[in-house]
Amino acid sequence: MTETGIQIENLSFGYTKERLFDGLNLTLYGGNIYGLLGKNGAGKTSLLKIICGLRFPDAGRCRVLGWEPKHRPAALLEDIYFLPEEFHTPAISGEMYRRIYGPFYPRFDDEMLQEYLEEFDLPAGKKLSELSYGQKKKFLLAFGLATRCRLVLLDEPTNGLDIPSKSQFRKLLARAGEEDRIILISTHQVRDMENLIDPIIILEEGTIIFQQPMYEVSRRLRVAMESTEPSGDGVLYAEKTLGGYVVVRRNSGEEETQLDLETLFNTVIGNRSLIGELFEHPQAQPAAHPAAREGAVERTGEEK
Amino acid sequence: MNNFSFRRLGLLLRRDASAGYKSVFIAMAAVGGFVLLVSVVSALGRELGPIHGPMYFPLLFLGGYIVTSLTFKELHLNGHGVFYLALPGSALEKFLSKLLVTSLVYAFGSLFFYTAVSAAAEGINRLVFGYGHPFFNPFTRTTLIAIAGYIVTQAVFLVGSIYFRKLAFIKTNLYLWLFGIAVAVIVALITWAIFHDYAVGSRIDLDPYFQRIGESGELQAVLSPMAEKFLQAAKGLFWGVMAPVCWIISYLRLRETEV
Repeated sequence: MTETGIQIENLSFGYTKERLFDGLNLTLYGGNIYGLLGKNGAGKTSLLKIICGLRFPDAGRCRVLGWEPKHRPAALLEDIYFLPEEFHTPAISGEMYRRIYGPFYPRFDDEMLQEYLEEFDLPAGKKLSELSYGQKKKFLLAFGLATRCRLVLLDEPTNGLDIPSKSQFRKLLARAGEEDRIILISTHQVRDMENLIDPIIILEEGTIIFQQPMYEVSRRLRVAMESTEPSGDGVLYAEKTLGGYVVVRRNSGEEETQLDLETLFNTVIGNRSLIGELFEHPQAQPAAHPAAREGAVERTGEEK
Repeated sequence: MNNFSFRRLGLLLRRDASAGYKSVFIAMAAVGGFVLLVSVVSALGRELGPIHGPMYFPLLFLGGYIVTSLTFKELHLNGHGVFYLALPGSALEKFLSKLLVTSLVYAFGSLFFYTAVSAAAEGINRLVFGYGHPFFNPFTRTTLIAIAGYIVTQAVFLVGSIYFRKLAFIKTNLYLWLFGIAVAVIVALITWAIFHDYAVGSRIDLDPYFQRIGESGELQAVLSPMAEKFLQAAKGLFWGVMAPVCWIISYLRLRETEV
């Protein structure tokens, strides 16, 4: 099968009688590095597991690269690389790992792996089980990208990485994008993913409440730093910071500004219906955020 | 559907071998040492009867059941299960790789290993003492039937391995005991239903029944064909049905496992 992309329609899933997803819809296309954001327990990891066939939906349709993942067909697994947050590395050297596991992936690229490992500055010859958590993760990331799978699923990939490694990770991933490849990253560490993930998907209470490319975000939302507490209509989100207030408003054709992911996430979560309306009907003037109207603002962690 | 490929099966087997070779070497060293010790000590005591047959069968059965019970352990461990199930390979290939390793590879591997170790032990005995126990013959009918019996019965432990998250070997044994008790109870109830007229207190005394059909000359005629048919059916179930049913259950369970 040569079908690309992920199509999820009316998907229902739950661990108990209480549904985690009820009628979830999502379509993803090749050539993108998607960021999947959501609060704890929103179902990000479960969604990744459903996509790669480790969990089965209770109802609905899920097609990945033309296959139904719940059957875990070998041809699909050869095209998916999933790096979970809690992973396993056998007690063998990286070289042995490459020799044993590389051939499972038909398009595995040895040279690419070598290049990535050098970039991550990983010690050669050491057993994987003897490496630190971050080093193990870097090895598995490098291996995953070298598989040249069309679908790469990363669950909290920057957790446990040191500061230089996070930057290396971003560079590496930016290079790893291919025309038909989907990289889906579930993360809480939105700052690590700045300028990397695009489009952004936000999962809340079992529903995709937001799925937009960053250029649409810049086109429709405007962020500004203001010295006084914002008030009045049009304020979608406001947050007190050290230098004043970060204020998000509807962009009515002014200059485009770039929202950081954390502000975008907070704006979307706090104004679910307004944001939905704004992105569906960009001409409609949304009412002001009630919290902002009342002058209530969030404070950043640094100030507390 | 691209559900089976010898290439992927080979890769899975190689992966299993690379993951387990250290444990295998340690177990081989322990068994080898034990066989050597028992062989030398019993030769010293001039107990020169055949010891290798009785020592091989526990290795085959007990060792094999333990190995089989551990085979799907990774499926139930955090992180390992995701890694294993996401590994490119169909459920059929993954199941077959585990089945092959724990049945044929283990049975013939242990046979080859035991033959070599016992030959070495007896060689040492003859060199040191000038005598020894009879050599272990791996080609006897008893040994081959035992191997066939192992391959059939280990299928039950394969089911246990995939179903039980922890202590699969102990739990499978426990369930076998419970199954045995359940069968015994059912047989007792059926016997009671048929022969309750012959009940004497809590015991069933069938002597009058046997005397009655014996007197009429029907004992042999009635019981023999029935017993024969029952035995044939039991043999058929054991050799032809039990293992395939267990394999199918294990395969389906693997296919349906979520982590």
